[in-house]
Amino acid sequence: MAYKTFAAIDVGSYELAMKIYEISNKNGIKEIDHIRHRIELGTDSYFMGKINNDRVDELCRMLNEFMAIMRSYKVDDYKAYGTSAIRESQNRLILLDQIETWTGIHIDALSNSEQRFLDYKSVASRVKDFQSIIEKSTAFIDIGGGSVQISLFDEDSLVTSQNIRPGVLRMREELARVSYRSYQLEDIVEEMVCDSLDSFREMFVGDKKIQNVILVDDYVSQIVQRNYIKTIKKGQVSTEHFLEFVDSLKKKKAREIAMSLGLAQENIALLHLSALMIKYMIKLLGAEMLWAPGVSLCDGIAYEYAEQNCLLSSDADGMPHDFEQDILDCARDINRRYHSGEYRTREREMIALTIFDSMKEIHGLSRRDRVLLQLAAILGDCGRFISLASVGENSYNIITATEIIGLSHVEREVVASVVKYATEKFDYYHIMDDNASLDKEAYLKIAKLTAIIRLSDGMDLSNRGKCSKLKVVNKNDELVLTVETNADMTLEFGLFDKYASFFAEVYNIKPVLRQKKSNI
Amino acid sequence: MGDKNSKSDNKYDYGRSEYYYNRELSWLAFNNRVLGEARDKEIPLFERLKFLGITASNLDEFFMVRVASLKDMVNAGYTKKDIAGMTPAEQLEVVNRATHELVGLQYSVYNKSLLPLLAQNGLTMIESHEDLVRKDCAFVDRYFQDYVYPVLTPMAVDSSRPFPLIRNKSLNLGALVSRKTVKSRRHLFNKKSSQGKELEFATVQVPSVLPRIIQLPEAADGTKRVILLEQIIERNMDKLFLNYNIECSFPFRIMRNADFSFDEDETEDLLKEIEKQLKKRQWGQAIRLEVEEGIDRRLLDIIRKELMIDERDIYSIPGPLDLTFLMKMYGLEGFEHLRYSPYTPQPVPEIEPDDDIFERIREQDILLHHPYQTFAPVVDFIKQAAKDPQVLAIKQTLYRVSGNSPIIAALAQAAENGKQVSVLVELKARFDEENNIVWAKKLEQAGCHVIYGLVGLKTHCKITLVVRREEEGIRRYVHLGTGNYNDATAKLYTDLGILTCNEAIGEDATAVFNMLSGYSEPLGWNHLALAPLWLKDRFLYLINREKENAMEKRPAKIVAKMNSLCDPDVIKALYEAASKGVKIQLIVRGICCLRTGVEGTNDNIEVRSIVGNFLEHARIFYFENAGDPELYMASADWMPRNLERRVEILFPVLNADLKEKVWHVLEVQLRDTQKAQFLQADGSYRKIDSRQEGKEKSAVNAQELFCKEYVALAAKKEKEGQQARTFKPEYNQAIQN
Repeated sequence: MAYKTFAAIDVGSYELAMKIYEISNKNGIKEIDHIRHRIELGTDSYFMGKINNDRVDELCRMLNEFMAIMRSYKVDDYKAYGTSAIRESQNRLILLDQIETWTGIHIDALSNSEQRFLDYKSVASRVKDFQSIIEKSTAFIDIGGGSVQISLFDEDSLVTSQNIRPGVLRMREELARVSYRSYQLEDIVEEMVCDSLDSFREMFVGDKKIQNVILVDDYVSQIVQRNYIKTIKKGQVSTEHFLEFVDSLKKKKAREIAMSLGLAQENIALLHLSALMIKYMIKLLGAEMLWAPGVSLCDGIAYEYAEQNCLLSSDADGMPHDFEQDILDCARDINRRYHSGEYRTREREMIALTIFDSMKEIHGLSRRDRVLLQLAAILGDCGRFISLASVGENSYNIITATEIIGLSHVEREVVASVVKYATEKFDYYHIMDDNASLDKEAYLKIAKLTAIIRLSDGMDLSNRGKCSKLKVVNKNDELVLTVETNADMTLEFGLFDKYASFFAEVYNIKPVLRQKKSNI
Repeated sequence: MGDKNSKSDNKYDYGRSEYYYNRELSWLAFNNRVLGEARDKEIPLFERLKFLGITASNLDEFFMVRVASLKDMVNAGYTKKDIAGMTPAEQLEVVNRATHELVGLQYSVYNKSLLPLLAQNGLTMIESHEDLVRKDCAFVDRYFQDYVYPVLTPMAVDSSRPFPLIRNKSLNLGALVSRKTVKSRRHLFNKKSSQGKELEFATVQVPSVLPRIIQLPEAADGTKRVILLEQIIERNMDKLFLNYNIECSFPFRIMRNADFSFDEDETEDLLKEIEKQLKKRQWGQAIRLEVEEGIDRRLLDIIRKELMIDERDIYSIPGPLDLTFLMKMYGLEGFEHLRYSPYTPQPVPEIEPDDDIFERIREQDILLHHPYQTFAPVVDFIKQAAKDPQVLAIKQTLYRVSGNSPIIAALAQAAENGKQVSVLVELKARFDEENNIVWAKKLEQAGCHVIYGLVGLKTHCKITLVVRREEEGIRRYVHLGTGNYNDATAKLYTDLGILTCNEAIGEDATAVFNMLSGYSEPLGWNHLALAPLWLKDRFLYLINREKENAMEKRPAKIVAKMNSLCDPDVIKALYEAASKGVKIQLIVRGICCLRTGVEGTNDNIEVRSIVGNFLEHARIFYFENAGDPELYMASADWMPRNLERRVEILFPVLNADLKEKVWHVLEVQLRDTQKAQFLQADGSYRKIDSRQEGKEKSAVNAQELFCKEYVALAAKKEKEGQQARTFKPEYNQAIQN
């Protein structure tokens, strides 16, 4: 049986973890080993802005040990990601370079949305019931050290995904500055989280009842998985039993809790905060069932790796869920929030994607870039919510200020830039490179996608659905766009060059617009 | 977790000290039971010698660790009472009295029973060099000149030569000597001889590099005769102190506090620190002085004063000091008829000698019962892993290993073959520290990743993990045992082990080694329970579950076999379970702080101790679980040190066949009528009186029965093998009929 051995490393805010997997077509993703080392990188970076040298030394030492373990398993490949502690460290680039020099391990810093998307993928990929659960209204709560991500699903679609601060480690550190008595803890935590939670409810939930909560965290999930709370089935507890469990915690001392739950005492404070946060969320959402599948970021990393390298058979582990659709759903949700017309964006998406698909050999862009193009098409008009003038600039600002689950910061910047330059003057690299997050590759991607978006915009200037039947053919250095419509295309023909010139500049291909009238 | 002093829902407060025995006295009672074997006339003479030697060796260790610890507590003014309600000073007092009695009994057995019997059986012990005949004198003097003299370092004490270091456990000869030409020097230790000469103290260590027992030429009637080395030296003392007259000389031996402790958190290099402490062990406070009965008082005073030893810690010995030489005597040739015929550990039927052990383990979990079955599969497991190209990693814990350990050699070989080998060598394994330092260094040199142990904990669990990359993916093979990875003691200690490739246990084993390597605990355990974090709670949970079952009128029973039982929380839980009707049968070889016949327990607790030819060492735990029995094995006893200060593993027996086999081990021991001794309410142990029990009860010696069963099993297997190689002719049935 052919299989790959893969290591996923998560440089988290309070723990360094590595999981070793075997990935095969036949057996899917199988966990072989899970190594964890407690190291509170978040304590440094959240509050001092940098990770101190002693902790960096410790991190390097542990990563060297991880390297030895990887060698012992003869792993074929690995992927290491840093989350909020690394992300929020001011000297992140220096730090990551140092780590790579000392350990040989390359770590990529994940944006929050990428991280949450991987967590989410790990749940969806590991759990067979996932699809049926999210068909009902479900909140996906991902509690991290720095923040908490809440995503809402309804009828199999992602409705929204929002990031709320603080996470448990950040909260513990903030509480350390507050002088309080143990019986006050619950109230203080409530004060700290409920304002954000109330806003979330107002904006995204309304009166709707959320039936299920899916939980990803490092502490409560353990307890549920180990059946310390009466379970309905593996990993699932009624919220009633869960709330009883949370109440029981306040009557006990940390040592007692540690003994009764088989946890290290040092983890009890974080467990308690995690449990309290979940309690308030359950109460706020009115959920009936809590489901803690006990997965971690490493599982998502492994899934992503398997997916990218086509290591899983289409039916392995049953993966019916479409993650790209979640990203697009999220973008459509943003559009709805900014009252941007859905019909208009659908038409624009169709034209842009038709052009993109017809010139695969020319643009050399990836399937992922197609998603970015589609996002740009969807979000192109959201800036109208602010002002009808400078729509590009306004849309850019909205997009860069909004978290789109599943996108890295660079990808989000690409989408926002494409939206901006669809209507604004294109800034060439020497201007654009002021934006430190964009490299030359990203710049070229923006140029290529902008060219397609501008061209597609030029084909239906009044947004009247003139291009519902579009055929695109690339021949003799020309891209022939044939629109089958009886609508008046005078305006489009007249101004076509204005929209096509940038395309010609980027691809050195001349777009030609043709109209084919239908027989009446 | 229960608190010994807290009130329970019971009518009785089982935390009260009156319900517990003192552990030191219980240990002395155990050593008395071993001494009982030396007194047992039914046992072959040389086996009795061996048992007497074992009691002496046990007692040495008891002094160096337990008595030393009590003395430390007394010196530090520590007055906290033990579970039996005794302060350290009170314990020391009773221990002292009991030890003197025990030593008296040891020499009574030696002098009154064993020496005459030896003589009757053709072996004479020449007790004093003064009893040697002229011919023998020439022999021993020649022996002294050729072999002994070159290795001796005689030391006299005067103003320029201070009192020498007397090494822990060493046997020495002390003498009072006077100069042949008297000078005017005086010294603290100088005394006047009866002739008015000034006496000085001199000493020489009996060299441990030479055999203690020296055979003299056979007598004309064929009787073998032996003399002890110290007698030969004593006879030749004048040759060691040429310018002196030997006024008197007597053997003496001291025991020092060998219980070292250091702050592990402050220690940068554990290995170096332990090496340093081992050297210091030779300088520990003297806690016991053994001298030959009749020693010159002047000589005794000098030794006592210099070693700063209390009068009550002086043992006046009516015979040779240090009876551990009897264990060597056991091996004397020509007396095979006075020993049990040696038992050869039998092959394990599931594994043929040249089998691929991994293939066999894949077929089924394999139970190993030592010493009835050979330890070879465990060694082969590592050896095959070392050579197997599919093996990626070998991980193992080592607590005590043999002198020339094939396991160490295999691990080193594996590292040299490019496997990732991680070994936790417990440097703090008491009295094996030096050995383990040597092994640790050897393994490191071979390229193994060696962990010296964990700060503040001793790693006592016995686990091996072999990670193998196979066609179907990575597979983990695990050995879990109750006894050490020591091929030598595996021939003497009764232990159990399991070889398995059960995936869930493999996952747990990986997590164990991750924890031992310093990583965080796993998110959960499948089957294993580890001390010090989870094991005690697990045991208490299992005991309490039986209690609840009994209260609900469901079947409830506990059978537990271990070496020692002294954890107060566990004992209290057992009392409470018994008071609710749980039948509890305990097989505790050594220390047992639990009492029987405690009020409210309705005689539901029965404790037996089996002391036999093999050292009972397995830890097995049976819980009835309302008719769905669970069986576990462990590296841990029910002692606070095991449950709170050591890394130990409790593992379940999952396979139904294996469960049956392990239950059989318990069941046979519960049927033992020959070696089992029952703890009485007054604290004494009594064997079953076969006359009272009735003749219908057949005699069972569990260890002998196991020997027979495993020999029969191996023979059956061999016969099956032979049959399989026989052609089977077929006949025409019609003609046959």
